[in-house]
Amino acid sequence: MMKNDGGVRLFWLLLLFLLYTRGKSYSVPGKPTLTRCRSPEKETFTCWWEPGSDGGLPTTYKLFYRKEGSEKEYQCTDYHTGGKNSCFFNKNDTSIWVNYNITVVATNALGQALSDPLNIDVYYIVEPNPPENLKVTIQNDKGWPFLRASWDPPTKADTRSGWITLIYELRIKLEEEDEWEIHHVGQQKVFNIFGLQSEGTYVIQIRCKPDHGFWSEWSEDVQVVVPNYFPNKRSTWVLVMVFSGMVFLILSWLLHINSRNLKHCILPPVPGPKIKGFDQKLHKSGKSVDAFKSLDVPDFPHHTFSKSEDLLVEYIEVYVPEEQELMLEKSNNLHNGCLKSENSVSDCDSGRGSCDSHTLLLDKSGQQTDTQESQTDEQRHGEALQGENLAYTHQDMVSPDMSAGRVKTWPSVFSPLPQNRSTEDQTSSLEIAKQHCLSDSLLPSDFLTPYHSPPGHCTREHLGSNYWEFDFGNKRPHLTQPQTEVCHQIQAHSEININTGVKAEPAAQKFPTPRSNEYVEVQRINEEDSVVLRPVASNYDKLFEMQQGEDYSRVKGVDSDSVLLLLQKEAMEEEMNMCSCEQLTDTTDAHYTTFATSPEKPTACTHPTPQPLEERVVNGYVDTATMFTMPPY
Amino acid sequence: MMLAACSVWLLLVCLVLYSRLKVAASAPTCTNGQAGCHVLSLANLFDRVIQHSARMHGISNDLHSEFELYFLPSKNQIGRVSRNCHTSTILTPNGKENAQRMAREELTEVILKLLVAWGDPLWHFHQSLAHNHEVSNFSSNKSLEMSDMVHELRKGVQKVIEKMKMLGIMGNSLGGLGSSESLLAPVSAEWRLMKDYDLLYCFRRDSSKIQNYLKILKCRIVPEHGC
Repeated sequence: MMKNDGGVRLFWLLLLFLLYTRGKSYSVPGKPTLTRCRSPEKETFTCWWEPGSDGGLPTTYKLFYRKEGSEKEYQCTDYHTGGKNSCFFNKNDTSIWVNYNITVVATNALGQALSDPLNIDVYYIVEPNPPENLKVTIQNDKGWPFLRASWDPPTKADTRSGWITLIYELRIKLEEEDEWEIHHVGQQKVFNIFGLQSEGTYVIQIRCKPDHGFWSEWSEDVQVVVPNYFPNKRSTWVLVMVFSGMVFLILSWLLHINSRNLKHCILPPVPGPKIKGFDQKLHKSGKSVDAFKSLDVPDFPHHTFSKSEDLLVEYIEVYVPEEQELMLEKSNNLHNGCLKSENSVSDCDSGRGSCDSHTLLLDKSGQQTDTQESQTDEQRHGEALQGENLAYTHQDMVSPDMSAGRVKTWPSVFSPLPQNRSTEDQTSSLEIAKQHCLSDSLLPSDFLTPYHSPPGHCTREHLGSNYWEFDFGNKRPHLTQPQTEVCHQIQAHSEININTGVKAEPAAQKFPTPRSNEYVEVQRINEEDSVVLRPVASNYDKLFEMQQGEDYSRVKGVDSDSVLLLLQKEAMEEEMNMCSCEQLTDTTDAHYTTFATSPEKPTACTHPTPQPLEERVVNGYVDTATMFTMPPY
Repeated sequence: MMLAACSVWLLLVCLVLYSRLKVAASAPTCTNGQAGCHVLSLANLFDRVIQHSARMHGISNDLHSEFELYFLPSKNQIGRVSRNCHTSTILTPNGKENAQRMAREELTEVILKLLVAWGDPLWHFHQSLAHNHEVSNFSSNKSLEMSDMVHELRKGVQKVIEKMKMLGIMGNSLGGLGSSESLLAPVSAEWRLMKDYDLLYCFRRDSSKIQNYLKILKCRIVPEHGC
């Protein structure tokens, strides 16, 4: 007995010693945990658990389950197929739409532990295998490649009988990228991918899912290289070219639309003459006296204003060139010193364009540089006379040929008033202000128009300081009134004249029968108080003579019977030699044939011994300056 | 001229509408006994019915999840629930082999039985939800939709059966499927004792059964159209 006691004590001491030296403690196993159960095809399923601490002792795990509707407890038969800590339920043990109550029991030498039960319905734990046989091919769609991916469902899943319905999902990315592009495919097993990068390497994966279940794992990578179908560099260049071409087109279209405005900006037109202090509105209203009063100069003889006929007349030589063009010339002498150069500077108070003097005096010879000066003055003044009907067309630059001085376009009858340089000019400008540009008179009888038209009716192209600065070509100034047609025609002629070097086609204007003569003489005065002119044959040489004021008669004035008083040649010469500015006020230098609609009497030239031409018809030349209506007084 | 143009335009519009109406009014019918046409129309019918059942199951699934969140029964009840389904008396195949072993007529009968069995219970379920103030209007509307769908699906399946009988695919052993009395007998009034959550649980399962059986039927009868 003593030995037995000693043996048992020794045994326990040894055991305790062993336990102490090993540092371990044995205990009941820890509670296992059922992690998940999955079915790959809705016919079998597997459950896995996580073991707890084993308590230091060998522990065994057993899975028990109960099926819905029966209390019978079953035990798992297959612990190996699913790997460690798993239980595989085969087809016979698997029932769909049946609730399973599963429990895992861990047992060791010291005890056992039960896991929490897990309730599952196999229908809702289906996680299929990934799709198989993923193939990606490169197809061509009119030169543009695309990828076609095709695959098969996992072999275990029975989709053919309709037992499982799978939907697929595809993802693709470039090899070097990190982000995937996911495409939901649906139930089909083929999918096309467009919008590929040239010479790119793509990686494609696919996965599937049943109606109510879990997504499968992604399949294996499939790599595909897209061929080089469109060189990127070239495409960029093409894009750049196309874009720039469009921009260019748009810009040019804009330019074209705004060409006129641009021209105005870049080459501003030379403004026409304008009389300082001249009130246009007042003038329009008819009270010329008041209008001109502002221009009045104290020391200027006023008696000229008392009479409305105190108009400065400037004779203008009318040439009817061979080409049936009417040419008007102005006497050189009238404008000595008072005229500006042809390229006169625009005056400061540039207003509208000059008077619409269609009585353009065209100088073919180009010798009339002097007279051009006067023309500029006249024009400028005449412009001021015009009402707002003046169509100030911004003339484009004259062709270089023109500026050479070959062409001279004489304005309507203008008193050769200079610019506002001298005080004397002001008065004279007054006179001019009264004048209106009427060029109709220059036309042959067919084209005569009554001069009742208000001032400025012949607002043809204005002539700025440069007569030749009018619209040669295609531009037709705005015609304010019907009568302007006539003026147009005249102008067209002058255009032709000016464009001696240029074959500018006049507008299809009807002109009288071509006459070789260049001058027009007053034939008669018709009922409408229009001067009927007819061209008179003359030599071309006479043109120059006329310019010098030799062969034309200056209209002195209009008497009470509305008769043109024309001065004799000698008298005119004298007058012409005088400064037109001063004498204009005396009306001696009023070298214009006023076509008075009302019995207005322009002051006759007190100057030399004129022989007023009482006849209605003048033998010889009548420098019928551009007629213009008298301002109504 | 404007009037004329307007009238012409109106006339054209009317013509177009009329032609369209004609097309819409008359469904494509198979004439002269074209076999292919009939099969195609049967396949279409099946597809429609399957889609309908899928939608029904989806709604029941949503409602069940909602109930689980807000009206979670105690854990003790989880396992107990399934035994109380009033349709448990209907023998339904619980596996693929079992389902495939069943004749098409049997399978169809099962489907119909299930649909008939859930007609009334779902209506009452909706009524109880509507009067339950704790339940949102959204859920109540869903239950109503569910109830309607059951009836619609039943009519659809009956149409399919008629079509199959016409085509000779199915024999006439389906007897009194038209009358619901023969189908209702097994399932008496057990469902009235069930709680809402249990009803939902049971219906969710049964709707998935219906959908699955219909798919099996389709792939058995008209396999070449998307199986």
